[in-house]
Amino acid sequence: MILEINNLKKTYADRTVVDIEYLFVNDGETIGVVGNNGAGKTTLFRMLLDLIRPDTGEILSKQQNVAANDQWKNYTASYLDEGFLIDYLTPEEYFIFIGSLHQMTKTDVKVYLHQYEEFFNGEILDNGKYIRDFSKGNQNKVGISAALMQQPELLILDEPFANLDPTTQIRLKTYLKSLTGSHKLTTLISSHDLNHVTDVCSRIILFEKGKIIKDLLTDKNTLNELETYFSG
Amino acid sequence: MLLTFLSHQWTSFWRSSGKGSVIAAQVIMGLLALYIIVVAILIGYQMENLIAHFLPGKDTVEVFNGMILYFFAIDFLARLQMQELPTLAVVPYLHLNIPRSKLVNFLNIRALFSAFNIIPLLVFFPFCILIISDDYGVFACIMYLLVIFSLMIFNNYAALYFKRISAGNAKIVLAGFFLLVTLGLLEYFKVLSIAILSNSVFHYVALQPAFGLLIIILAVAMFMINAQYLNNNLYIEELKSSTGKKSGTDYPFLDRFGEAGTLVALEIKLILRNKRPRATVSKGLIFLFYGILLYKKDVIDNNQFWMLLFPAIFMTGNMIILYGQFMFGWQGAEFDGMLANKTNISTFFRAKFLLLTISSTLLTIITSLYGLMSWKILAVQLAAYFYNIGIGTVIVLYFATRNSKYIDLKKGASFNWQGVGATSMIMSIPLLLSPYVIYIPLTAIGNPYWGLAGIAILGIAGFFTREFWLTFLVKEFNKRKYTIAEGFREQS
Repeated sequence: MILEINNLKKTYADRTVVDIEYLFVNDGETIGVVGNNGAGKTTLFRMLLDLIRPDTGEILSKQQNVAANDQWKNYTASYLDEGFLIDYLTPEEYFIFIGSLHQMTKTDVKVYLHQYEEFFNGEILDNGKYIRDFSKGNQNKVGISAALMQQPELLILDEPFANLDPTTQIRLKTYLKSLTGSHKLTTLISSHDLNHVTDVCSRIILFEKGKIIKDLLTDKNTLNELETYFSG
Repeated sequence: MLLTFLSHQWTSFWRSSGKGSVIAAQVIMGLLALYIIVVAILIGYQMENLIAHFLPGKDTVEVFNGMILYFFAIDFLARLQMQELPTLAVVPYLHLNIPRSKLVNFLNIRALFSAFNIIPLLVFFPFCILIISDDYGVFACIMYLLVIFSLMIFNNYAALYFKRISAGNAKIVLAGFFLLVTLGLLEYFKVLSIAILSNSVFHYVALQPAFGLLIIILAVAMFMINAQYLNNNLYIEELKSSTGKKSGTDYPFLDRFGEAGTLVALEIKLILRNKRPRATVSKGLIFLFYGILLYKKDVIDNNQFWMLLFPAIFMTGNMIILYGQFMFGWQGAEFDGMLANKTNISTFFRAKFLLLTISSTLLTIITSLYGLMSWKILAVQLAAYFYNIGIGTVIVLYFATRNSKYIDLKKGASFNWQGVGATSMIMSIPLLLSPYVIYIPLTAIGNPYWGLAGIAILGIAGFFTREFWLTFLVKEFNKRKYTIAEGFREQS
């Protein structure tokens, strides 16, 4: 069990944003987090990354409270929004910086990035631009691939498909699927695209106003079930 | 057409803000401008009496002549720092059916709407009209007015031109800085004096008014060069910033500091590649001239070190004070990433210490040029240096853990109050007063040298107990990190 959440609650001005009694995540699961705006997906992710302090409750990552120590940083990689990028660096500099935090040399980083050439579609590397001058979709690509590069055991992505062009969405999907088989990786993905999440994820958690209202293992009926919920 | 453009500018000025703080800033700026204008008019009218009062026995016309080029030299520096480039105003019109020359004209005329262009006229014109016309005749007076007007025009377009070609080019800025230092030193050692040059130029104008034509031609030429440059480069991309291919930069000498060094390299890039931190730091370099103003000979001779202490601390530590007061707001935009990444908070603080220590060391080396005036200045500056790296850094970083105001890196630094809050104001009190708390009693019971030694020793003690302060700061930071991160997320 890589993640365990107990009695987690976060309230902003009388509005409960996250309210989870108990949730566990097993090693190797790929979990899709869905829910309308305001369901608390991003707040939950921020609490998982110790960026927001929960009002009550705790999040245990490998049995250790994330707010208590930094152990989880060794095996957790994430990309939530552009706030995770350092926008005055070139993508190469950013990758090298992130790599250096994980004891990767420059050459390691270059070699590693090689496999993303198709994903980058020739638009990211050697472009002579700072990250701030890229389009949003390309910024997303940089953030996602930097997270993957850390070879994490726990990967957290907030709406990774947003702003990507259709080709890249499909490539990212294929790539995420291939990762789940290849090594021990637990993934949490939030998305508004029900097709994509049901396609990629083995388990779907549906949030409404901070509460878990559905927790399903994906099968052929899952997409229908979700569509019924969201059209209701 | 020009009037339409200008009326658009006027409307955009009044409608742009929306936020109260921007309007408040504009009002304060307006009041400040008004104040300066009133003072300028008063100085202008009272020039003769003022000169007679402050420099009794000197020929007023000679003093006046000597001042003019001085004024414009300082004016040029101030313009480089503060005058805004009005280029982006033209973007919405570029694709319309408007001839390019009209747009260039608009930009050039728009550039005249600046307080910088009124002040010299207000300061100098009254004296010219009252005195020069009496002494040298009406024609000479008219030439004086024309020459001063031309110098204003010249400065206006020269500053804009220089800013345009040097946009984002650190080398040109550095070259300019060293040129200024050289000029300052030449002036100080009386090798070359702007005042004497100025005096002879205007003396010549007074006697041979036609000579003034040369300066008028110079101003027209500068205007043409600037217009030509704009005409050739009127593309949005090129107007915005330097267009060169961006490539990665390495600072190999920082590698030996490990992960903290990597973070310092990152922050150096932050400073060099973003407008506001770059302007803040380069403004700091201008403060290096404080010494010329405040290191007075009689003060040095009488060992009145308390008068030297403030400029010494400010010059050797201006990066700590000016850049440090907004920490960690500079990194507000990427703060979530910093926290979620595998960076250790204590490494993060170690990097801040390292950055501030490096900056202070470099500034101390540069300012040791003042040692040419007296070895005592070196002693004061060394004490100030130890104070800055040992105590100043801790104070600044402590207040940084209480600051959660985001800084927009893309905006300019002049008249920009974003990020200025109670913490950054309060910070300067202990930072600038505590050396005196050490110095004054030690001087009272011993002598001024004891005071200096006390400051230096405490600074060194602070430096060697850095691990302790590091643990303390990390603890303080962890208490408030959620508040800080949340503040940065609000981005307003």
